[in-house]
Amino acid sequence: MPINYKTGIINEHKNVRNHSGIFDVSHMGQILIENNESYLHKLEKYIPLQLKNLIKNRSHYSFLLNKDGGVIDDLIISSIDIKDKPYLYIVYNASRKKEDEEIFISCAPNAEKIYNKNCLFAIQGPDSINVLKNIIDIPNNMNFFDILISKYDNNQILVSRSGYTGEDGFELSIPNESAENLITDLLKNENTMLCGLGSRDSLRLEAGLSLYGHELNENITPIEAGLSWALDKERLEDKNLNGNKILSDQLKNNLSNKKIGLISTNKSMLRDGMTLFDNNNNEIGKITSGCFSPNLNKSIAIGYIRSEFNTDNPIFCEIRKKLELVKINNLPFVKKNYKKNGSVYE
Amino acid sequence: MSEKKYTKDHEWVSIENEIATIGISNHAQESLGDIVFIELPSVGNSVKAKDEICVVESVKAASDIYAPIDGEIIEVNNNLENDAAIINQDAENDGWIFKMKISDSNQYSDLMSEDEYKQFLEQ
Repeated sequence: MPINYKTGIINEHKNVRNHSGIFDVSHMGQILIENNESYLHKLEKYIPLQLKNLIKNRSHYSFLLNKDGGVIDDLIISSIDIKDKPYLYIVYNASRKKEDEEIFISCAPNAEKIYNKNCLFAIQGPDSINVLKNIIDIPNNMNFFDILISKYDNNQILVSRSGYTGEDGFELSIPNESAENLITDLLKNENTMLCGLGSRDSLRLEAGLSLYGHELNENITPIEAGLSWALDKERLEDKNLNGNKILSDQLKNNLSNKKIGLISTNKSMLRDGMTLFDNNNNEIGKITSGCFSPNLNKSIAIGYIRSEFNTDNPIFCEIRKKLELVKINNLPFVKKNYKKNGSVYE
Repeated sequence: MSEKKYTKDHEWVSIENEIATIGISNHAQESLGDIVFIELPSVGNSVKAKDEICVVESVKAASDIYAPIDGEIIEVNNNLENDAAIINQDAENDGWIFKMKISDSNQYSDLMSEDEYKQFLEQ
């Protein structure tokens, strides 16, 4: 996947927000794990969900946690029957394949990595449904984070209504031999286009979504990352879950850092790794992701600052040895546009 | 008649009457992608060749612009302040970044010709 295709990051970004765009995310990990009680129990050591209660044909955003509750990876886990057999289908970050697969295989020795035989495409944007429905059968009542099996080219494909741009959209796991045909069919719609990693990043940042290696790593818990909504609270009382004590303490007590959204007050660009200061020149935090926001026409960023810092006070970002005023902005920067019960919700 | 020359940092320089006009090459513009901001140099500053004098920010990354030769900054392209994307549209004409009064024209002859720059890009 390139950073961008011919028309550039900004054009690709706007096309996704206004129409649709196609991302080839085949580099990501995809694995099928047989849905049986012994495997689920072992996986529940790492995954903070009640896996046996997962609803069929639904996806969940979750994590693999280390023994301190730190994030080994963030992932999407779905419960789905394939050829009448129940599976967990997990999509995880390419950069964490080694760490994740060690865990998956230790819990379920016959877990089947499918990313060598299946491509993964994401079509994102308000028009995605219109582009897709002529090519693949999509039920009208399919909601965001629903997943099902459909057909294309006489092959079974996994279709989930999901993505990581803040827009409505779909992810399609399709056997390699049909992948090129599918892309060709999708691109027949002249309002869609191939999009690269650059716009994928600016879209997810505008939507306030975390990225592994930036907002998330092994030293940050989901609670510190502002993602406690994704944890099953009952599981935090379960000793079988890695870091359960640390996590439940964090939920009850104050955290040392908080995640914030920032927006530039001039044209300077906020970038990953830049340091944040208060008006007395004390370091208060760091930026973890920054980019130019095509929708706001300004630079935006996500970062962590010390919890005790009062965000009514000014914040400065060090950009090329100069301190520039930045403004706090609630996350997300751009409203989410997901589909639920036939209508769009935020 | 001015001849356009190039630096290894992918800048172009053209000289007329001891005034050098400088910008980034079309190749540089293409690899930077969408340019969203430029921090222009200060008029009146005297600079030496290789000094970092301003910054071009694209959606992908920040990129330093160096003085190609010794001299004094005498003019900057203020149009870029409102619309840095001019560099994407026309890097080697309307997208010029600054002008310098040069102090040593020998430094100019040391830069690459257009053909030499093309070869440099292929290496």
